[in-house]
Amino acid sequence: MDAQSLITFAIFAPLLGAVIAGFFGRLIGDRAAQLSTTALVFAACAASWVIFLQVFSGSLEAFTLQYLRFIDVGSFTAHWSARLDTLSAVMLVVVTSVSALVHFYSIGYMEEDPHKPRFFAYLSLFTFAMLMLVTAADFMQLFFGWEGVGLASYLLIGFWYKKSTASAAAIKAFVVNRVGDFGFALGIIGCFWLFGTIEFAELFPQIAAKSDVSVAFLGMSLPAMDLLGVLLFIGAMGKSAQFFLHTWLPDAMEGPTPVSALIHAATMVTAGVYMVCLLSPLYEFAPVAKTVITVVGAVTALFAATVGLAQNDIKRVIAYSTCSQLGYMFFAAGIGAYQAAMFHLFTHAFFKALLFLGAGSVIHGMHHEQDMRNMGGLARFMPVTYAVMLIGTLAITGFGIPGTYLGFAGFFSKDAIIESAYAAGLHNGAAHMAFWFGLIAAGLTAFYSWRLAFMTFHGPLPKAHEGAHGDAHDDDHHHEPHESPMVMLIPLFVLSVGAVFAGYVFYDAFVDHHQAEFWRGAIYTAADNHVLHDRHDVPGWVLWAPFVVSMLGLFGAFVAYIWKRGMGKRVADRGGPLHSLFYNKWWFDELYDATFVRLTRVLGDVFWKVGDQKIIDGFGPNGFAATAAHTARRLAKLQSGFVYHYAFVMLLGVLVLGALGLWLSGVWG
Amino acid sequence: MMDVLVQQLFFAGAEVWLAVMAMVLLVVGAFVGNRATAAISYASVLVLAAAVAFIIGLNGHPRVSLFGGAISTDALANFGRIMVFVTAALAIVLGDRWMKRVGLQKFEYPVLMLLAALGMSVMVSANSLISLYLGIEMQSLALYVLAAFSRDNPKSSEAGLKYFVLGALSSGLLLYGISLIYGFTGQVGFAEIANALPTSSKVGVVFGLVFMLAGLAFKVSAAPFHMWTPDVYEGAPTPVVAFFSSAPKLAAMILTARVLTEGFALATPEWQQVLIVIAVLSMIFGSFGGLVQGNIKRLLAYSSIANMGFALVGLAAGTAAGVQSVLIYMVIYMLTSLGLFAGLLVTARQGRPLESFEDFAGLAKVRPGLALVMTLLLFSAAGIPPLAGFWGKFFVFKAALDAGLVWLAVIGVVLSVIAAFYYLKLIKVMWFDEGDRPVDGIAWDAGLVALAMALFVGPISWFVLPVLEPWALRAAAILF
Amino acid sequence: MAALLLEYLPIVVFMALATILGLGFILAAAIVAPSNPDAEKVSAYECGFNAFDDARMKFDVRFYLVAILFIIFDLEVAFLFPWATSLMDMPKDVSIFAFWSMMVFLGVLTVGFVYEWKKGALEWE
Repeated sequence: MDAQSLITFAIFAPLLGAVIAGFFGRLIGDRAAQLSTTALVFAACAASWVIFLQVFSGSLEAFTLQYLRFIDVGSFTAHWSARLDTLSAVMLVVVTSVSALVHFYSIGYMEEDPHKPRFFAYLSLFTFAMLMLVTAADFMQLFFGWEGVGLASYLLIGFWYKKSTASAAAIKAFVVNRVGDFGFALGIIGCFWLFGTIEFAELFPQIAAKSDVSVAFLGMSLPAMDLLGVLLFIGAMGKSAQFFLHTWLPDAMEGPTPVSALIHAATMVTAGVYMVCLLSPLYEFAPVAKTVITVVGAVTALFAATVGLAQNDIKRVIAYSTCSQLGYMFFAAGIGAYQAAMFHLFTHAFFKALLFLGAGSVIHGMHHEQDMRNMGGLARFMPVTYAVMLIGTLAITGFGIPGTYLGFAGFFSKDAIIESAYAAGLHNGAAHMAFWFGLIAAGLTAFYSWRLAFMTFHGPLPKAHEGAHGDAHDDDHHHEPHESPMVMLIPLFVLSVGAVFAGYVFYDAFVDHHQAEFWRGAIYTAADNHVLHDRHDVPGWVLWAPFVVSMLGLFGAFVAYIWKRGMGKRVADRGGPLHSLFYNKWWFDELYDATFVRLTRVLGDVFWKVGDQKIIDGFGPNGFAATAAHTARRLAKLQSGFVYHYAFVMLLGVLVLGALGLWLSGVWG
Repeated sequence: MMDVLVQQLFFAGAEVWLAVMAMVLLVVGAFVGNRATAAISYASVLVLAAAVAFIIGLNGHPRVSLFGGAISTDALANFGRIMVFVTAALAIVLGDRWMKRVGLQKFEYPVLMLLAALGMSVMVSANSLISLYLGIEMQSLALYVLAAFSRDNPKSSEAGLKYFVLGALSSGLLLYGISLIYGFTGQVGFAEIANALPTSSKVGVVFGLVFMLAGLAFKVSAAPFHMWTPDVYEGAPTPVVAFFSSAPKLAAMILTARVLTEGFALATPEWQQVLIVIAVLSMIFGSFGGLVQGNIKRLLAYSSIANMGFALVGLAAGTAAGVQSVLIYMVIYMLTSLGLFAGLLVTARQGRPLESFEDFAGLAKVRPGLALVMTLLLFSAAGIPPLAGFWGKFFVFKAALDAGLVWLAVIGVVLSVIAAFYYLKLIKVMWFDEGDRPVDGIAWDAGLVALAMALFVGPISWFVLPVLEPWALRAAAILF
Repeated sequence: MAALLLEYLPIVVFMALATILGLGFILAAAIVAPSNPDAEKVSAYECGFNAFDDARMKFDVRFYLVAILFIIFDLEVAFLFPWATSLMDMPKDVSIFAFWSMMVFLGVLTVGFVYEWKKGALEWE
């Protein structure tokens, strides 16, 4: 098969799976629904890898395949299409691989759930939407995929919709994303307004010519590219849970764990990063927007890492870790190292999915217990899970020997980002800040990652967890923690391989000497942007700094949770200001509740009770209906039932009409 | 002379045939008695079918003027007659079975239907004021008797009497108008009147025309000559009402269109205004009046008043497209209405027919099929796309817009929204109100008619409309 | 116009005379005649009884039926009369046509007559 058919197949196979499981799931049964969706996604995955390897080896040129015309109004056209270049090829393999593994894993994880077909249909639907997003050739399809993954995410977070917290989390995710989408939609509209097209291939070449156009807004004159860049980035902030719009992501952990691995770690949340890299031709001409991205990314990286230190829910820790890693990717893109951002996205997908699925294995083995304080010593009960979690932890902390090519996946990508930030920071304040924030966050990452590992797998098993575990469970089997079945472990092995080798294998192609041949223009870098090159010239201490801080983090975690066991708990119990700041997630939820939520509710009350009920309903539908009923009753009174009344009305009618006729025929002038 | 007569009798074959067969069946009935009712009913249906076949055979034949210009056969007359005969046949079938169930079976029913159909047939082909009046009276006298058909039922007698008294009044108005027009133009033939108009007194002609319109408006139950409708609909036997609401309205509408456009084309600006007033009043009375009704038959009476208003909107446009839209509208309305009344006949509760909103509460639980059929018909009547009722309104309002009557179309749309309320209310009562009292068995004849009409307003109409539209246009083009 | 109206002058004169005379006699009686009523004078006279009951009593619907049926055949005669007087004065083919036209009309009426007879509308008991 040629690449065109392969990519078409890869995109639509998950849709087919979603349709089969979604509409016919009850007909064909649970097992058939699981197998058909999983098989189709695996097939899509295979197709994606074939395409990717062709791109990787340089034997496949970028192309855009148009399927159908979507909208054609005036000068506005949008198409359904599939755009293949290196960028989308990378995303294709990430999405389909993680999705395939998650599908497979879910067969085991969701074994006891009564709604399996629905779950698998949603997963496949998500995969399809994500593929639409990454292969979009214009903003319209990008937006379609964007909202499609949002929908799937909403459905999956609220999968256990009978749990009120899950429903609330789903709504929260949806609403917070609306804020981002508002900016995103404005950005798209702005692009159309400025360039007259939303097709990337037509839009990008125009950017250089219009780079100094300004837009008058509220008396200010704003550079158009920066305005567009910031607006689009707001969309990315929502989807990728960046600072200010991050609050939905930790709550999204209410969804089943495989969902967290697929959507809220590996794929959907990285869509924002992907979009910024895709729009690199625009951002290269938008220095202010890039600065905004750098600052927001750096702040998120540090902020989320601090919060991660104090969380006790195993999934929330990983969620904040995701948030923090996304911050890394954003500031990498912000300083112009898009390739590094994409590289980190790529490796992160493997080790973060690994961590989440490992956490899922722990939760499964602990019978839906998620609080790490109720865990400990699980290494004895689930050695395989322990091993893969260790690999994941080493990968996320970026373990590796600086100056050599020995290290886990995170080592290559994260260090590339930190070095680039240092190099860019030599003549850019924001990048300089990002370097330091990233460095500190790396230390914190090591601390909370190891804290998770130590709290979960080491020490004694607290008796407390007996009988205290989750509710979504029939208590009919033994309560001993147990290792997960093979169907769940196999994906962990596969992801472990990725977490170990993905960095080493692709380092050269993504960010090092052969990056230009690999990307082949899919990512645009301006002539004065040599961040990727400059990072080789950084001083030696910059190479060693991430290693040192992560070792410090490891040491700190070791001291607090193994050597001086109980120290972490004492700090938490004392509840000092710093700890409570972190533990309460910097009080963001409370802040938003006090401001936006309250304000919105008051505004909503005003609009609803006064604007809608009194004014619109009062004078509109209800008032009109009341008038109609009143008129009807008055008319009904005319219908007396007496013939002479009827005859009278007839004669009156003929009289009036006769008068009208006479008037019309000009008797009275 | 004789050969001309024979030729003319041939072209009036449908009417002659109906008249002769009505008399034959009457005599048969008189001798055999009510035992022969079923046979006479089916014979009447066959008579009507033969008449339809004859007219279809005539189809495409150029216009022939008969009996000194009294009537003519043309595309419009053929269109009207086919519709009238078909609905009359359906009403005979509906009525015969229903009257057998309630013990009212009499052989006069099909004969009277035949005579009414004959009257309407004259109406739709009338070409002079004399035949206009003859047709109307022939139809009306048969209908007066039919309204009072259940003569032991006081409501039915009352309905017949009211209809007769007010009908006589309207005939008086009509005759007065006719005499004025004859007085001022000296002519009775439509074409001759049109020729005489330029030299006649405009005031006198318009005044006479207003009286004629009053008489015709009574026949289509347009406001303010509609007052009889709710009472008669409520009192008369339901199959008779089903017929009242369909064929006579179409016949009178075609007659109105013909007399106005063929006879009084020169006075178009005047009669247009009068029609607009009548149309608006009908829509208002029909839409608002129906809101507070508790009896479905009364409700449908108001519905028919409102629908006549909508149809008159198309006529008020005064164009070929307008007449075409009226024809399409009337056919769709006729069949919808027939289906709805048939739906009322389908079942009963311990022999008592379902006539009020309470009777229909929760019908969907007991008789989901019937509820579904009724729902489809009601949605069509309310003008919900893609059902036929929507297209009827669409054509009418489009004709009005094209003729520049924007405000009339706007008023029509607004009032059709108000009228939608009572259709939706019945749907809501059927599907969402509490009540699962059992009903009697299904009457399949009525059920099949209702189902057929529901299918017609639904999917079948999408195939029929493309045929109906050019046919109606051909018929309408006769007048211009 | 004036000449036409002038022809109606005698009628106007006649109506005026009638009005004047009628009013004159009534007024004269009211003014000149002595008025001295007593109970005997104003009571019912001639047959000498007070009314037993209301004159608006119910009576049999068959009276109406017979009356209506009578009118139909009465009108038939009204049609027949001018037809009969002019039939023989027409050209031959027209008179044949006219003859058969009336026969058809009579035939239709006969059908009605058969119907009313068979339905028993003409039987009093």
